[in-house]
Amino acid sequence: MFDLKKYRKKSPWILHYNAGSCNGCDIEILASLAPKYDLERFGVINTGNPKQSDIFLVTGPVTYRSRERLVELYTQMPEPKVVIAVGSCTCTGGVFRDMYNVEDGIDRYIPVDVYIAGCAVSPELIIDGVVKALEILEKKSKEMEKALKLFKEATSENGVINRRNVALKVGEVHEEN
Amino acid sequence: MKKTINIPLGSQHISLLEPVRFKFECENEKIISVDSDVGFVHRGIERACTTKFKFDAIGYVVARVCGLCAITHSLSYTAAVEKLLGGEITKKAKYLRILLLELDRIHSHMLCLSHTCENAGFEAMFMRIMGDRELVMEIQELLTGNRVQFDYINIGGVNRDINSEVAKKIIENLYEVKQRVLGYMDEFTNNWSLSLKFKGIGALSLDDAYSFNAIGPLARASGLNIDVRNEIDYLPFNEIGFKMQTQFEGDINARNIVRLNEIFNSILMCENIVNGLPEGEIFTKLKGKPNGEAIVRFEAPRGELMYYVKGNGSAMLERVRIKTPTFACIPAFTHIFVGENYADAPAILASFDPCLSCTAK
Repeated sequence: MFDLKKYRKKSPWILHYNAGSCNGCDIEILASLAPKYDLERFGVINTGNPKQSDIFLVTGPVTYRSRERLVELYTQMPEPKVVIAVGSCTCTGGVFRDMYNVEDGIDRYIPVDVYIAGCAVSPELIIDGVVKALEILEKKSKEMEKALKLFKEATSENGVINRRNVALKVGEVHEEN
Repeated sequence: MKKTINIPLGSQHISLLEPVRFKFECENEKIISVDSDVGFVHRGIERACTTKFKFDAIGYVVARVCGLCAITHSLSYTAAVEKLLGGEITKKAKYLRILLLELDRIHSHMLCLSHTCENAGFEAMFMRIMGDRELVMEIQELLTGNRVQFDYINIGGVNRDINSEVAKKIIENLYEVKQRVLGYMDEFTNNWSLSLKFKGIGALSLDDAYSFNAIGPLARASGLNIDVRNEIDYLPFNEIGFKMQTQFEGDINARNIVRLNEIFNSILMCENIVNGLPEGEIFTKLKGKPNGEAIVRFEAPRGELMYYVKGNGSAMLERVRIKTPTFACIPAFTHIFVGENYADAPAILASFDPCLSCTAK
């Protein structure tokens, strides 16, 4: 019926947060969603709600004011989630490194899966990064499936569901797959 | 019992490109008071300019204050340092600087127009304008080597020369952009559903614009004749056909029309520059270290940008002060919101074209 595993890869939703960048990378993210580069052909939609999104695009070195908001947004996103650091200053601090109101890069606070370098990044690189993130998203959702499979599917006989022998041994799933 | 409700907008919101928080106090649908908080992206660039970087590198650092008006920031800083060093740059370098300044203004205004449409709920128009904006971005990439952060302006001139192929491409693309913008002009003035969201909403009167110290397209839409390009003689704007664009209604629609007219004017200026580019070198070497104080003003896409630079004869500067356009407009912003419907707030906010990374630095 509704196979989440299959459709999540086909239509990942993006959450975008500016943690103190110069707007350069943000307008390039907008440009990569627009007709010429058209990231939306991969099913990507830009959404403002962290509770509905799968991919987290962060720009900017983390300023002290935006730090708590960044971590809050990350914790509100449901698993599986992928974090992409867009731009040099997001990866390492870049030109803003060691300024007094700046944490150097987002990976001090949240785990990052894909780093995209460049100041400002070009839309081609953003597309590359998101496609890479889709692979990671698929891998992560497979890992989640593994942990959840403690039961086999129940068999039904004459309309009566038989749930007696549904518990799985550890490692039995891997042999089946 | 309390009769009003508080609605926060931001710091993270679908209609915002960058973090800013507005607290709206609403009575039913109407906004009765606004509180704004703009400091989310403060990084401490002014301080770093005096402690971390030498004066010849700061032109590239202050470009990172804002990605949209990067060229105006580095141009203003460079002009201030050139004033202190006392050199004269060649005429060709000046013209190339104006060329990039106006290209930057075109793409910034187009981004603002598309964003206003998106926040008013017209997604198709957003896509159309963003698609056409790529024509300008293409020229910028050919001319400078990068799409957004150009690093084109250097103390003493510019970093890259223009050749005949690039000049031909610029003329071709700008002609194409002009045709597309004529189409938007029709859409913005005649489209019935856009007029519902734009006409008569978010109005600022001429007196208010004057007393709240509004600048840029916000003030020009209310009929205030204020444009730094008309007042400075450092770059020859009047030679190449600059004309002030004003409207009188002061609402969102008037701001959009001012921006569209400015795009036409900028296209005309770019064409004039490319067709009549003077011969000569693009770079003159300036010697010495900055000593003394200088103030420079320029017209960024959002209004007047002011730089104050103080040097003491060494490679490190004593003070760099940046006064940005959005910072000066915030009192006017909060005044406009009062009395409007909350449902219109994102569209009004986008029509200001606020640049918070400029404001917070």
